[in-house]
Amino acid sequence: MNGLRVALAVARKDLRSEWRTRELIPALAQFIVLALVIANFGFQIDSRSAPMIAPGVLWLALVFAGLVAFGRAFAAEREQASLEAMMLTPASPAAIFTGKAIAAAALLIVCEAVMLPALTLFFGTPLNAQVVVAVLLATVGMTVLGCLFAAMAARVRARELLLPLLTLPLWIPFIIAGGQAVQAAMGLQANWDEGIGLLIDFDILFVVLTSLAARFVLDD
Amino acid sequence: MSARRALGRLGRSTVRLTSAPGTNFQKAAVGAVALMLLAGVAIFVYAPTDYLQGVVQKIFYLHVSSAIAAYGCFAVVLLGGIRYLWVESLTADRLARAGALVGVIFTTVTLVMGMLWAKPIWGTYWTWDARLTSTLVLWIIYAGYLMVRRLAEPGRQAARFAAVVGIFGFIDVPIVQFSVTWWRTVHPGPVIVNDALPPQMLGTFVFTMLCTLVLAGVMVAIRYRIEALQDAAELATEPARVLSARGDTEPEAIR
Repeated sequence: MNGLRVALAVARKDLRSEWRTRELIPALAQFIVLALVIANFGFQIDSRSAPMIAPGVLWLALVFAGLVAFGRAFAAEREQASLEAMMLTPASPAAIFTGKAIAAAALLIVCEAVMLPALTLFFGTPLNAQVVVAVLLATVGMTVLGCLFAAMAARVRARELLLPLLTLPLWIPFIIAGGQAVQAAMGLQANWDEGIGLLIDFDILFVVLTSLAARFVLDD
Repeated sequence: MSARRALGRLGRSTVRLTSAPGTNFQKAAVGAVALMLLAGVAIFVYAPTDYLQGVVQKIFYLHVSSAIAAYGCFAVVLLGGIRYLWVESLTADRLARAGALVGVIFTTVTLVMGMLWAKPIWGTYWTWDARLTSTLVLWIIYAGYLMVRRLAEPGRQAARFAAVVGIFGFIDVPIVQFSVTWWRTVHPGPVIVNDALPPQMLGTFVFTMLCTLVLAGVMVAIRYRIEALQDAAELATEPARVLSARGDTEPEAIR
């Protein structure tokens, strides 16, 4: 499996560079905590309303943290023109893209590891396996789509404008299904099984589609 | 060729498109408008007024027709995008560009008319129903498509990126529709297929739909012409670019 080796090598490179600079994760963690603080002032939160509001706050914080994370994943490559260098190697664009996506997903999961306990701490919502599974499944699909469009946006003018514009509408299916699952997991009237089933379907669909499309976005 | 000369040439061709009496584009445009007026006559004179909803129900004809026209336009964007990625055909890309713009216009018409209809019947302009949500997402995605075309470097990059957005957007919309239907919906189901319309209403609807499709087709054709002229002008003003190893065939294809 040469492609897999390449993907893991690219992911390792990205994660090592993040480990050495330690820029993105602390910034994102702060961003998420700030989002929770802002939600606390924006909504009227007490023990009764918290479970109703917390799932929405979770997805809003996650979506915007994701946008920042995916934007950075390719911005660093662009600043040093290293993506072109990688494309010159015999590695397939799909493998390079997979590597970038794995690294971005890992960073986003670290953010989630900050966000979910913080949500429990500040909002008093339950933190159980069901919530974690739903968020992780949504992360898969959001990552492949986010990376695809981040790779695109990194090459155009006004990329910070374009990335949310392209990514957010295409993430909506994950928010719909994930929102349903998280609401159920936090004890609201919703169906966890259906939400999870749809999330898995969407993950498979978009992983396949993105791996087909990656070539056209990277190889230019 | 200097920029001024190219612009002058573009200007002349635009003038030719809009003011010369005999162009095929103009004839087609006049024909499409005439058809739409006829459809208006059919809607307000021929079709019976709905017993329950009254005159508001007449929004139905244009509302559904423009939704179908919009889907047709986005299908053009999808097919054009796939064709472009497959063989890098500039024609396909220009068609996709034209389809996206016209499709966004028809989606806007659908949304606005739908809201005007919803206010008296449902009591609210907006509700997060499956059909409404997915149409709104459709509008947002193709507005994003038009933004990509603006922001990406014109030529191969913009065409490729836009093609990917067009394909993903087209797939996303039924998914949103499906996943919201799973949980909540108030929008009426397909009354046309279910044989729920009296024959005069059905006839009016089919006629309006055909007229709207003709209008959309004419708009796409005119937009296609504008895109072709813009491409030609851009090529004439830009300094010669290094063509890719695959051999971009832009200069020939423009003719």
